[in-house]
Amino acid sequence: MEMSTMVNPEINLSDLPDVEAVTFLPVSEKYRTMRLALWGTVQLLLLAALLSPYLLYRFGGEEDLAAFSQWWWPVAAQAVLATLWGLEEWKGFQRRGYAVRDRDITYRTGWLFRSTTTVPFGMIQHSELSQGPVSRMMGLNHLKIFTAGGSGNLRIAGLAEEDAQTLRSVIEARTRR
Amino acid sequence: MNPDLAVPTRQHPLGVIILATKFSWHVAKAGWPALLGLSFGNIKWYHLLVVPAVFLVVGGFAFVYYLRFRFYVEADALIVERGIFQRERLQIPFERIQAVQLFQGPIQQLFRLTGLRVDTAGSSGNEVELVAVKLSEAEGLQQFLRSKMDGPREGGGVQDAEGLPPPDTALPEADPLVSLGWADLLKVGLSQNHIRSAFIGLAVVLSLFQGVEEQVSTWIAGLPTMALAFAGLAATALILPSLVLMMFVGVATSVVSVILRYWRLHSTLGEDSLSLQMGLLRRNVFEVPFQKIHLTEWKSNWLRRALGYETLRIQQAQAEGGRGGVRIFIPAMQAHHRAAMEERLYPDIGAGEVVFDVVPARRLRWILFALAASPALVVLSSPQVVNVLMGLLWLGFVFWTTGQRYSSLRMKVYCNAVVLERGWFWRTRTVIKLSQLQGVEWKRHALLERRRIGHIVFHTAAGAERFGYMDKGKALALRNFALNQVHSAYGHGAD
Repeated sequence: MEMSTMVNPEINLSDLPDVEAVTFLPVSEKYRTMRLALWGTVQLLLLAALLSPYLLYRFGGEEDLAAFSQWWWPVAAQAVLATLWGLEEWKGFQRRGYAVRDRDITYRTGWLFRSTTTVPFGMIQHSELSQGPVSRMMGLNHLKIFTAGGSGNLRIAGLAEEDAQTLRSVIEARTRR
Repeated sequence: MNPDLAVPTRQHPLGVIILATKFSWHVAKAGWPALLGLSFGNIKWYHLLVVPAVFLVVGGFAFVYYLRFRFYVEADALIVERGIFQRERLQIPFERIQAVQLFQGPIQQLFRLTGLRVDTAGSSGNEVELVAVKLSEAEGLQQFLRSKMDGPREGGGVQDAEGLPPPDTALPEADPLVSLGWADLLKVGLSQNHIRSAFIGLAVVLSLFQGVEEQVSTWIAGLPTMALAFAGLAATALILPSLVLMMFVGVATSVVSVILRYWRLHSTLGEDSLSLQMGLLRRNVFEVPFQKIHLTEWKSNWLRRALGYETLRIQQAQAEGGRGGVRIFIPAMQAHHRAAMEERLYPDIGAGEVVFDVVPARRLRWILFALAASPALVVLSSPQVVNVLMGLLWLGFVFWTTGQRYSSLRMKVYCNAVVLERGWFWRTRTVIKLSQLQGVEWKRHALLERRRIGHIVFHTAAGAERFGYMDKGKALALRNFALNQVHSAYGHGAD
């Protein structure tokens, strides 16, 4: 009850600290390499799958190529999707970043699908650094931030080792109060 | 602290019977297909001995479980020790407790005992149930936990050394909220969604085979299995008489389930909590502090509105992954009930000043219309007069409905509350507190960004609430405001 009466309604809205005004710090460049490598691998595998009738005909001793007469449709569809996804990765990486203010952390991602999420430090329950085998090889860390209910959880992926540690200690210090 | 509560205690001895019944019920539910299969085979009389043998084993199991189940209270946590093969000691810190609920199934009512359920916001499966406690003890424990849940409060109103306050004087300034009589129950039952009721029946029957009836059973706790089986069977047939039958079954299921759930519902609004009791076969007593309420949602359909009723859903913090979390429904909320409730829960709404009053961008209306109008394109496949007329009729209808839908969308932001209204046929009013927000998200895709439109998402402990197609400038100002309110409510922590 006290909570709702302690805030002062007479607030000048244009004077409030603006989330948009902060500068976003990028995540590690290596993370782009990792994402693009993933993109390339998936595209290659897909292409191989789409062209498999032809590959079987050419190298596998298959004699019938009738199923392959309409090959350009799926390949064109893949090209479009690959371009969109590639754009999302490339342009999206330039937008990907995090910003820390005194009382909250903001994470921005995406170019086609843009999202900017702000989580107050006071609401963070715990945080966690995680690494998969590939990201360990590249020295990258993913920082997960957990809030009550799980709806506001953040995952800041692709942080360089020291950035991850710094960010984590900042969060821990602010969360504990 | 009350000395009685600090001593590890077993439940009431009659709990053995209740536990045995509970376990038998689980075994019977899991094992009835096997029994059915067995009955087709060539059985001798002594094969039937399996049944009493199973019950004997279950009874023994219940007895050992009873012996090894103890609960007590430590300085800052409720402790439960339980388990037969694998011992566990559950430690539930008071401030993690979301709700303490008393419940009485038929057997508990017979023995004048009560069960006590403690829900936490931790990972799922963390709730704890005592099944057999004397009513007075349970009420004492409930009051005790309730007084500890908020953490230390100013004013020192929490009784400590002298033990517990007598239960019946617990809430001196409680105002009556909704109470249901027979006529109200009937009205609530008749204004349920009967189609859903009928399908719940079907779902229950289907899920018996898969053992996932937990989700469904939360909807219709305590309904006799036979009635549900009947409803489900009816739902599988699709011919006309069966549809009529299904409708009857749906209505009957609705009415019966409403009577079972909301029988003698009585709720009161305290100074800082809501208390509520209801139910016939399984009677529940809830005590929910306002502080632990993360979302309230008032819902109505046209029939309910005609009766002046809305159904309230109260949502507490969910476990990680969005599952669990206590949800309480209160039907038959009238306008003055809602006003009284909101006055207590969200005093800033009544205080008036609307900081943001938002309607979605006009574009949304045309997006909705285009989506709903697309079936009319079928006309193009055979443009005959009749088809064109049908198509035009559809366009007109859809133009009207999407217009209604569009104009029903509204968000009002007060100094601490966000009120989201949507729907014109099924109307929903969702209220969340800014001070409880877990995060604020601003999202849009590239095409919307060009038009400076996007969606604002409020992440709460009870799930995400979204208001779509909002003007960018206003949304960003709203985000700044929301974050400011969170920070100022949360205190001046960081340094």
